[in-house]
Amino acid sequence: MFPHLHVASAYSLRYGSSFPRELVLRAAEHEMDILALTDRDGMYGAVKHVQACSDTGVRPVVGVDMALRSPGDDPAIRGAGAGRSARGDGEDRVTVLARAGGWAHLCRLTTAAHHAGDRGEPRVTRDLVAQHADGLLVMLGPRSDVGRAVAARRDEHARALLAAWRAAVPDVVVEVVDQYGYRESNTALRMLVLAESAGVPAVLTNAVRHLDPGDYRVGNVLDAARKLVPLHPRHLEHSASHAYLKSGKEMWQVASRICGGDRDRARGLLARTRQVAERCVLDPLEILALRNDPERVHLPEVGGDPVSRLRHRCEDGLLDRGLERSRDARDRLEAELHIIEKKQLSGYFIAVSGITDMIRDMGVRCAIRGSGAGSLVNYLIRIGEVNPLHHGLLMERFLSEGRKGLPDIDVDVESARRLDCYRAILERYGESRVACVSMMETYRARSAIRDVGAAMGLPPHEIDVIAKAFPHIRARQIRSALTDLPELRGSGLGDRALETMFRIAEKLDGLPRHIALHPCGVLVGNSGLRDRTPVERSLLEFPMSQFDKEDVEEVGLLKLDVLGVRMQSAMAYALSEIKRVDDQDIDLDRGVPHDDQATYDMICTGRTLGCFQIESPGQRELVAKLEPRTMHDLIVDISLFRPGPVNSDMVTPYLEARHGWREPYYPHPKLRASLLETHGVVVFHEQVLKVVDAMTGCGLSEAERIRRDLGTPEGRERVLAWWEDKVLPEFDRETTDRAWKVLDAFGAFGFCKAHAAAFALPTYQSAWLKRHHAAAFFAGVLTHEPGMYPNRVILDEARQCGVAVLPLDVNHSGRTWLVERGHPEPREPSEEEPVGPLGLLVPGSPVSDELSPRRIGEGYGLRVPFSSVKGISEAEVERMVAGRPYTSLADFWERARPSRPVAERIVQVGGVDALYGLHPGGPRWRPGELTRRDLLAQVGALHRASSSGVTPGRRTRAGYRSRPGQSPSRYGEPGSGSGGTTPVETAPAVQIPMGFAERIEPGELPEMTEAEAVEAELEILGMDVSRHVIRFHDELLDAIGVVRSNELLTMRNGAEILVAGVKVATQTPAVRSGQRVVFTTLDDSTGPIDLTFFESVQGHCAATVFGSWLMVAKGVVRRVGARAVSLRALDCWNLVELDEAWRTGGMDKVWAMLGAVRRETGGVGGRRIEYGNGYRLSPYADNGAPPGSRTPPRKLWHASPGSSGGL
Amino acid sequence: MSRIYGDPIEVWTRDAEPARFVWRDRLYVVRRVLDHWVTSREWWRVSENDPGERRFWRVEASPGGQTGSYELRFDTASGGWLLLRAWD
Repeated sequence: MFPHLHVASAYSLRYGSSFPRELVLRAAEHEMDILALTDRDGMYGAVKHVQACSDTGVRPVVGVDMALRSPGDDPAIRGAGAGRSARGDGEDRVTVLARAGGWAHLCRLTTAAHHAGDRGEPRVTRDLVAQHADGLLVMLGPRSDVGRAVAARRDEHARALLAAWRAAVPDVVVEVVDQYGYRESNTALRMLVLAESAGVPAVLTNAVRHLDPGDYRVGNVLDAARKLVPLHPRHLEHSASHAYLKSGKEMWQVASRICGGDRDRARGLLARTRQVAERCVLDPLEILALRNDPERVHLPEVGGDPVSRLRHRCEDGLLDRGLERSRDARDRLEAELHIIEKKQLSGYFIAVSGITDMIRDMGVRCAIRGSGAGSLVNYLIRIGEVNPLHHGLLMERFLSEGRKGLPDIDVDVESARRLDCYRAILERYGESRVACVSMMETYRARSAIRDVGAAMGLPPHEIDVIAKAFPHIRARQIRSALTDLPELRGSGLGDRALETMFRIAEKLDGLPRHIALHPCGVLVGNSGLRDRTPVERSLLEFPMSQFDKEDVEEVGLLKLDVLGVRMQSAMAYALSEIKRVDDQDIDLDRGVPHDDQATYDMICTGRTLGCFQIESPGQRELVAKLEPRTMHDLIVDISLFRPGPVNSDMVTPYLEARHGWREPYYPHPKLRASLLETHGVVVFHEQVLKVVDAMTGCGLSEAERIRRDLGTPEGRERVLAWWEDKVLPEFDRETTDRAWKVLDAFGAFGFCKAHAAAFALPTYQSAWLKRHHAAAFFAGVLTHEPGMYPNRVILDEARQCGVAVLPLDVNHSGRTWLVERGHPEPREPSEEEPVGPLGLLVPGSPVSDELSPRRIGEGYGLRVPFSSVKGISEAEVERMVAGRPYTSLADFWERARPSRPVAERIVQVGGVDALYGLHPGGPRWRPGELTRRDLLAQVGALHRASSSGVTPGRRTRAGYRSRPGQSPSRYGEPGSGSGGTTPVETAPAVQIPMGFAERIEPGELPEMTEAEAVEAELEILGMDVSRHVIRFHDELLDAIGVVRSNELLTMRNGAEILVAGVKVATQTPAVRSGQRVVFTTLDDSTGPIDLTFFESVQGHCAATVFGSWLMVAKGVVRRVGARAVSLRALDCWNLVELDEAWRTGGMDKVWAMLGAVRRETGGVGGRRIEYGNGYRLSPYADNGAPPGSRTPPRKLWHASPGSSGGL
Repeated sequence: MSRIYGDPIEVWTRDAEPARFVWRDRLYVVRRVLDHWVTSREWWRVSENDPGERRFWRVEASPGGQTGSYELRFDTASGGWLLLRAWD
C-alpha cells in the first residue's frame, strides 16, 4: 500500500485543484491506508484533511511545503519585481512533515515562517527549521536546494548541502519524483544514488497537485494566475499531467522506471517510503478536540476558580438587574449554570464578559446578537442587554447538553471601531493567546473571469466590463447564465471569441483564491494557542489563524464573534451630535422607554428609510401591514421577513389573525401555550422546539438537536422517521401531519427568536432616534452608511422630514456630516400642497397633522462634509477643517492647501458661494457679477501663481501674509442678502499675489445653470444637494402623465400607471415561487416607489432595469396595506433615452417608444433548485447586489446651449 | 550523429508502449525503451475533449541486423505518430 507523502490540495492557493476530502476518498478507493496533506505555505486544509481521514479510516500525515530563503535573498534588498518572480517556481522548496505528535511543532514552524518573510510570502531557512526540528521530518525533493544541485549535475555541491541539512535537522530524507518529464527519471535516479551513498533514506512521492490526470489544465490556469503571466507553454510546468494522485500500481511503475527495472531497488524505495510514512502518522483525536469524549476545549486562563467566580458575577447581576426576588430567574440561572459547569465553560463566560466590559469602557457601543441573547447568564453578567425572560427566549437554542461543540457568543460593535476592539483584546490577552479567524475567498464568476482574462492577455478594462456584466453567481454558472438571463443574452458576451475564456473560468469554480480576515471571529485561547493553530499576519498586521471558523471549533478553540455593525456607529455618531448641538445626554440602552408610541406611529406608516432592519422595500411593506406597537411585534416582524416563514406561507395567516380577520388556529389544545404569542402561527425556532417537545415529550435539549438535523436532506429523513415514531398517541393523524409540514418547511430557514430579539433592540433604537432626533440620526446614517440605499436617498428622506440640506461651505463643513440648528426648511414655491409623501396625510385623518413627517426634523440642517468631495485626501480634509474660518478663496487656497482639482470641485459645488454671496441659477445673477466660473478661473490663476515660483515657497510657508494688491472683496460684494455670511472686507489681508498672477474680470463667464450645478453635485458629491435630479424632467414626465409617489395612494387598485424616478435599490431575493424576481425602488423626490418585475416581463425589461439610472416604468397598482402601495411592473424605459427622443422627435416619438410592443425575448432560464420540503429557489436569486448601473451616468441630460464645455 | 526527420509513421503498441513501427517501407522492432517523457500542448487552443499531450519515446530498434536509436512522438490531438529523430 503506497502512501503519498507529498500532496497539495486546493488549499495550496492557486496551485492545487482538489479538496482534501476528495483526495482522501480517492486514496481510500486505491486502498491506501495513509495519506499526507502537504499544502504550500500553510496548514489551511490540515484540519479538513484530518477530519476526512478520521471519517474514512485513512491515517493522516500532515506537512507543509515551504519556500526556502536562499542566502542572498533578503526581502529588504529585493525589489517588488523580484518578489513577484519569487511567487513562481524559481524558489527552492522543502517539505516538512510533522512526525507522530509533532502537530504543535509544525504549527510553530509555520507561524515562524510567516513572520520571517514578507506578508503572504513565508520563507524558512535551514536554521529556522532546525529550531523546531524535534517533532519534524524534512523531505528534500527535486525542488529543494539539494535537488536542484543534482539536476544541475553539481554532485559535490549537492553532497555538501545534504550534509548541512543532516547536521541541522536529525530527521532528513531525500524525496524522489518522476513525472515523466524530459530526463526526469535520470535525475531521480541520481537523487536516489546520492541518498544511498550518504546513508539517508529515500522516499518516493508524486508531488501531487491534482486528483485526475485531466485536472492539469486547471493547474495551468492557476500557474498563470499565480505567476501573473500569460497562458503560454513557456511559463507552464512540463508534465503537469502526471501530477495526480496515482494508484499504488502506477507508483510501482514509476519506481521501477526510476530504478531502470531493478526490482529490488524499486522495492527498497517503496519500503522506505512506507517506513517514513508510519513514523509520521498523527492521531486524529489529538487534533480534533471535539471528537474526544469528553470534549477537550482550550479555554483562556482566568485567575482563580472560574466556577465560583461566574457564580458570584451572576449573583451580583441578579441584584443589579433587580431580579434577586424572581423565582423564575433563579430557576433559570440554576439550570444554565448547571450546563455551563458540566461543560466546564465557566471560564469562557468570564472571559467574554471581561471583553464586553472592556469594549464598553472604551466608549464603544456593544450589543449581543444571535442565540446568545437567549441566555440569562449573558444578561446578568452584562454581555448583552436582552432579558431572555421578558421575551420567552430559550437557553437550549444557545447551549444544551446534547449539543456538541461550543456556544457562540456574538457581539455587535460600532463598525468604525471594530479594529480598535480587536487591538484592545490583543493588548489585554497578548499576541500569543489571541488570533483572528480567517476565511478562504473562493473563485466565483467575476473573480474567475478576472484571473483567466488576465492569463489570456485580455486588456484590463475589457476584463472589467465583462466581469461586471455578471451577477454574483458561481463560476460554473457562467455559460448557463449567458443563455438563461435576459440581460446577458443581448449583451454580445456569448461571442465565440470569449467562449474559451468562459470555459476555462468555469474550471476554477469554488477553488480557494486568497485568504482573508474573517469579518468577526476572534480566538481567545491560552498560552498554548499557537501549538494548536498556525498564525500568520493579516493585511492589517493582525495575527490570523490559518483555520476557518469550522476548523477552529473542531480543534477546540474558543471563538468570539465581534462584528462591526455600521448602524451602531451611526447611532453612536447621532448621540454625539445630539450632545454637541443640543447638549443632551441620551443613554440609548437604558434611558429610552421601549413603548414610545410616536416611534411606533412612524414605523406603522412605513416611514422607515434609514432604520436598522426595516428599511428594505419588502420590510416597509411588511411593517405597514403588520403595524407593530410593541417590541414583541418588532421581533415578530423581523422573524417573519425571512425565507423560512415566507416559504411556509406564515405571513398571511399571521397578519389575518393579528388583525382579527380570522380566528387564530391551534392544531391542538396542547400547542396553544407555545403558539399563543404569534396567534397560532409558528414564527420562531423556539416555538419549533416547544412544539416538538409538547408533541413528543423529548425535552427541549433533544428538540434542539432534532431541529438542527432538519437542515440536511439526510437529517430530514432521519427526523421524519423519528417523528412518526415518537409523537405521543394523544395527537391524531391530521395534527401530526400538519405539525410535520410546518416543521419541515421551517427547519432549514427559520429564525431564532433570540436573534430577532437582539436585532429588534437596535431596530427600535434607530427608529426612536429618527423620530425624535431626525437630523442627528440622518447625520449618523449619512456618515456611516449602514443601509442598502445610496446617500442621496437618505438625503432626500431627510429633506422630506423637514431637515434642511445645507450645501458644502468651507466655513461650516466638517470632516463628517454635521447638524446645524435653526435652519428652516427652504420650501420650494412649487411645493405648496400639504400632502406629504407616502400618503402620510390621509385626508380627514385626525392624527395626520401630529404625524406630519415635515415636523420630525424641522429646525435643523445637515451640512455636506468635506469628505464627500470626490478625490479629496484625508490630509486635505484635516487641513481644511483646522484652517476654518476662511475669508476668501485665496485664503482657503493658501492655508488649506487643496490640490487644484479638489479646489475646483469645491468651487463647482458651491463651497465658497457663501463667501461671495453667489446663487447659481437664482434670479439674482446678472452679467457682470461674480460667478462660480470666475472663481474656477481664479483657482487656475492661484495654481499658476504658486507653481510659477514668483513667490518662492509660499504655499508651505506661513510667512507669506500681506502684499499690496487687490483685495479679495473685489470679487463681488460679499454676502448680499444671503444671511449669515461673513463680510470679507473686515478680513485680514490674506490675498493672492495679484501683482504677479493674472487678473480675472468678474462676470466674464456666465454663471452655471441650476442643471449644471446639480450635475456637478452628482459628479463630485455623488448626490443631488440643491435640487432633486428628477425635477429637471418634470415637463416631460407631466406630458406623459407620470404618477408621483405621493399620489400613489389615490390610485385605484389594479390601475395601470406610469411612474418615474432614480433607481435607488435593486434586489433579487429568494422568493416562494422559485422565480428570479427583481425588486426595484425608484425615488422621485416625493417618496419611494416600489416595483416588482416578475420573470414574465424580464425578457424585455431586465437590461433596462439593471442598466439605467433614471427610469420610467409602467405598472399595475397593488395595494398592500392601509397605507402602502406597490407596483407590478409591466415595462420600463431609460428616462435619458426618452428625454433624448423628446428633444429630437417631440412627443410623437416618445409616445411611439412608450407604445411599442416589445419583442418577446423569453424569460429567465435555469433549473430551479428544489429542496426536500418542496421549496424552490431560482439559481439566480439572492446572490448579493445585482450588476448594473448604481451611479449616475456621466451625461444625465442634454447640455443646454451656451453652456461652457471648458469647465 | 542524429538526423531530424519528422516523418509520419505507423506504429504498433504493446502495454501502451511502441513495439514495432514501419518507417520508409521498413519494419523496425523495438528492442528497448531508452527514455519516455510527456509534454502538454496548448490545450486552450484545441478542443475540450483532447488531453492535449505529446508523448515521446526514445527507443532502440532494429530493422534487421544493426540497431539504432529513434525518437518517436505520439500526439493525442491528431492520434498520429511521427518519427522525429534517428541516430545511427
